[in-house]
Amino acid sequence: MKKVLVVDDSRIMRNIVKNTFASLHIPCEFIEAGNGNEALLRLSEHRIDLVLLDWNMPQLSGIDFLKKIRAMAQYATLPVIMVTSEAARYNVIEALKSGATDYIIKPVSERSFKEKIEKINF
Amino acid sequence: MEKYIHPFIEVCENVFKEFIGMELSAERPYFIDKKDVHDWDISAVIGLTGEARGAVVISMKKNLAIKVTDMLTETKHIDIDDEVLDAIGEIINIIAGNAKRGLEEMFRLVISLPTIVRGVNHSISWPNEQARIICIPFKIMNEETFSLLLAIEATN
Repeated sequence: MKKVLVVDDSRIMRNIVKNTFASLHIPCEFIEAGNGNEALLRLSEHRIDLVLLDWNMPQLSGIDFLKKIRAMAQYATLPVIMVTSEAARYNVIEALKSGATDYIIKPVSERSFKEKIEKINF
Repeated sequence: MEKYIHPFIEVCENVFKEFIGMELSAERPYFIDKKDVHDWDISAVIGLTGEARGAVVISMKKNLAIKVTDMLTETKHIDIDDEVLDAIGEIINIIAGNAKRGLEEMFRLVISLPTIVRGVNHSISWPNEQARIICIPFKIMNEETFSLLLAIEATN
């Protein structure tokens, strides 16, 4: 079964992201992390197929986590979708330049997940 | 100030409708003084830095904070607990992050992580000395109210 790493410092938001993603009926197991450092740990513990990544988090932000993993050969092509409230175009551009596969602006919807997931053939 | 307020009103109405499922109506905004005392029970604060500085704050009574959390989590809460703090923090985070889009022609902003302040008659320490604080009152379903407070000034 595919593994989806949900990274968000808000537990409520992690649940909403998981429930919205689950509504697509794609069989997968969710792994959770509350910040970028925890996410690095989860990546080393599990074979992750997709990362759903918040931007603003304590300790290690989503964007810094993204830059870190893109510098590591084993995660160079790992699909990472930013799921964030950062809606300004300059934020979207920065994330895509830093290696994000795609970008979803909160609040999340089933439709936005469906569109992005289809694009990456998950 | 109006050009700064509008994105926040629009985003706040959308976020409550799309994210929580509550219809809002914005009432007439007004200036408040830093020293004004309010009777809110909980506030969530996000600092704004970058090409402007300031803060945006959502303040509400306990009952509304609980009701909003109940709707977001589909579970019942009886008091302000960690989940309520999480919910209110996430709401202001989504409002501030989405409002950046409407302000991007004016300045690039960086938003902080939310800070939660709670307690009867609590007060907010505003970061700017000069910027005026505008209060945008919102009414939910013609019953409960909350306020979005905004202080913002360009740094250059």
